[in-house]
Amino acid sequence: MTVLLTIQQLSITLQDNVVLSELDLSLNKGEILGLVGASGCGKTTLLNAIAGFSKPSHGKIVIDELTLSDNNSCVPAENRQVGMIFQDYALFPHLTVQENIAFGISKLSKAEQDKQINDLLTILKLEEYSNSYIHQLSGGQQQRVAIARALAPKPKLLLLDEPFSNIDARLRNELMVEIRQLLKQFDMTAIFVTHNKDEVFTFADKMAVMAQGKLLQFDAPSVICQQPNSYQVADFLQLGSWLPCQLDATGAQSLLGLLDVDTVSIEQQDFAYLLVKPAQLLLDTEVAENHKANAQVDYISVTEQGYHYYLSSLESSVPDQTLSFNKLSLYSDSVLSLKQQVSVSVKAHDFLFFQK
Amino acid sequence: MIALYNSKTWKLSSYIIALVLTVPVLVMLVGGISASTQLFSHLWQTVLPTYLENTLLLAFLVVLLALIFGVFSAAIITQTNLIFKKQLRWLLLLPLAMPAYLVAYLYTDLFDYAGPVQRSLRAWFGWQAPSDYWFFDIRTLPGAALMLALVLFPYIYMLTRGAFEQQDQNLIRASRLLGLTAKQSFFKVALPLARPAIAVAASLVLMETLADFATVQYFAVNTLTTAIYDTWLGYGDLGAANALASVLMLLVLFVVLAEQRSRAGLRHQSARPNLSRELIQLSFSQQVIGSIFCWTLVIFGFLLPLTLLIVMAVQYSDVAQLSMLMSTGVNSLKISVIAATVAVLIALSLGLYQRLHSDKYRQFPLQISGFGYAIPGTVLAMAMLSTLGPLDHWLNDIAEFLGFAPPGLILSGSLFAIIFALVVRFSAIANGTIISGIKQIPQSLDYAPASLGVNLTGSLTKVHLPILTPAILVAWLLVFVEAMKELPAVLLLRPFNFETLSSQIYQLISDEMLEQGALGAILIVLFGLLPIVLLNKSKEKV
Repeated sequence: MTVLLTIQQLSITLQDNVVLSELDLSLNKGEILGLVGASGCGKTTLLNAIAGFSKPSHGKIVIDELTLSDNNSCVPAENRQVGMIFQDYALFPHLTVQENIAFGISKLSKAEQDKQINDLLTILKLEEYSNSYIHQLSGGQQQRVAIARALAPKPKLLLLDEPFSNIDARLRNELMVEIRQLLKQFDMTAIFVTHNKDEVFTFADKMAVMAQGKLLQFDAPSVICQQPNSYQVADFLQLGSWLPCQLDATGAQSLLGLLDVDTVSIEQQDFAYLLVKPAQLLLDTEVAENHKANAQVDYISVTEQGYHYYLSSLESSVPDQTLSFNKLSLYSDSVLSLKQQVSVSVKAHDFLFFQK
Repeated sequence: MIALYNSKTWKLSSYIIALVLTVPVLVMLVGGISASTQLFSHLWQTVLPTYLENTLLLAFLVVLLALIFGVFSAAIITQTNLIFKKQLRWLLLLPLAMPAYLVAYLYTDLFDYAGPVQRSLRAWFGWQAPSDYWFFDIRTLPGAALMLALVLFPYIYMLTRGAFEQQDQNLIRASRLLGLTAKQSFFKVALPLARPAIAVAASLVLMETLADFATVQYFAVNTLTTAIYDTWLGYGDLGAANALASVLMLLVLFVVLAEQRSRAGLRHQSARPNLSRELIQLSFSQQVIGSIFCWTLVIFGFLLPLTLLIVMAVQYSDVAQLSMLMSTGVNSLKISVIAATVAVLIALSLGLYQRLHSDKYRQFPLQISGFGYAIPGTVLAMAMLSTLGPLDHWLNDIAEFLGFAPPGLILSGSLFAIIFALVVRFSAIANGTIISGIKQIPQSLDYAPASLGVNLTGSLTKVHLPILTPAILVAWLLVFVEAMKELPAVLLLRPFNFETLSSQIYQLISDEMLEQGALGAILIVLFGLLPIVLLNKSKEKV
């Protein structure tokens, strides 16, 4: 696989605020990268820096062996061969669909332009709208025009700024699958920004999690999902809930009992949070006879995977306040009531401990 | 995001344009203030106190009357079920198209001792002499104030009406739920909420009054503007005229600052203006009083003067008048078309500079280029004379030094000075319209062309300018109409024997011969209607 995009030590300071800090990243040709993080974490700034709309204060951006920006020079946006799909699509209201698509390819001959426009209109199922104006189209159609317009000049890299945020939730999944297939069909390398992790899991080959201008983790979504590298990553992606534990030679002591952990692998930490995914928390149904209650139900909601409960530790049973927990997620088909005391246990697995 | 472009030529030219537009007034202010304390003390001991007193008294009366006319009519139209209010809603805007000096002349003609009204009264009651009865004298300071208020009150009406209509109806509803009647809630909630808009409108009226020249000159009320005119054209004293102009300029600046001060923090944003409002139901007698009030304003502010003009035009129009109209009309067109085009080009250049350039202070050229609107035409004319005059002398000296024939007063004595003054005065109108057009373009459209490989020129010609076309047309039209109507600057700056429609009509009015120019006057009124139609249309859209 050939590397298409390399970003080295990229830093951006805007009005004395460090928005991006020493960021490294590389992307292979044809890959789709999903950039997630909370609002203001710098993901849109990174997109703007790649597109040429934001000037890096330090670092280097290289696309296809061409340096777009380093400490000395900065290629203007119009010469970068980087396409962009804007959050509001930025379609030109005074031009028709066809004219919008033709906008970036005016240097081609008329025949070539027509061919390319017609191809794109067909692929994106927009033939019948070619002479319509933008305000005559639905949101989904507008997005397809934005995609066609961005693809027409054959950019090396396509940037998408929260492309699905304006789309109806029901349509969103369908559209994501459709656009992913389209990008793959064009062998297009793409980066898209979102604050919705589910979009990344559906849409991206690679995932980058950002916080406060820094890249926390960069890998395949499945890897990050299985092996988040920090508390922030797991917490932002809501991969599970948190159980405080005291670690010692015997294992991990928690209010849900002693967990059999190979303490050698947990280095020198004595206090840590265990990431508990929903499938790893078990409800011990027969509380009264075999088990002592260790949690109570604080909140109940109904989901497609059965009932979803938030559990908290029982106050009376807490010898050590630091180990008390709340908002521990439990999915179960059993019907429980609010304040009901239950006994739960953590299934043995490759325990993941983190410190805040 | 950063602004996209950093062209040095663009930056340099933007600052030069802004500077050129500002320099004349600065030169005049510096000249006026530093001229000589002797001159000032002389003026202060002789005429200045009277001029100032008249100016301030006139301003006070005009604002007072315009507030009474404007606020009450806006309240009646928006808050009550007055009959014919749909028609009155736009009819009340029309007086804005009537130049005050026309109304002044027509009413003097009508109500003077020799006018038809007093003649009929005398015939009716058998009076013989002025001592037999009392009749108000219109050619006085209060008369001038009334004339100005009659045509300026629509500013207050328009902005106050807008404020009432944009008010969050839930605030009104809340006050009703708390036990207020519709009338009480108007006085306790709606009116206080509209105060910022009323203040803005009143300061507009104030500025227009300070700038008025022709009405007060015709009524022989000595204010600062007439004093400047007389001092320069009557006595040829540029220094004293400059000093008076500087005093007027400072007065206007004071109004502008006071207005901005009072406005700060007094904005009421409305979330739900479109909820239906409950109207105050008028009794029969209230309907009659309300109708008389509104229709009197429409009739005396617009319909009657226009009718008088039409009657005059029908009675006195002849071929000579038509040919005069043609030649002055062409002159007016010439300067207005050039001024409008230049002002729009400058507004576009500076507006897009503010939007797209990476200069940290990119809003600066646009901001300072628009300050001329507050400056009365008379002051601006003095500024041009005191800047371009010396510049002409300097050019002639250089020409002579180089062995060429001296070119004469190519700047101060030509159309250049008039057009320059018009551009300075009306740039703010073009700027405002173009900027509100630019603001409606989403920022992402600035970036989209670059992401498609298109450079600045392509982006401007293919995206920004086409989208801005309606704003450009409106801006052009507004400046064009204002330039057609402008009088004092043209009077002071026009080359020998050069007449525009407005200067011609003013001359005829001074000579008590408006009949000769009735057609031209109608034309000016009709041009004046254009921006009102445009304004009303854009208000309807909101």
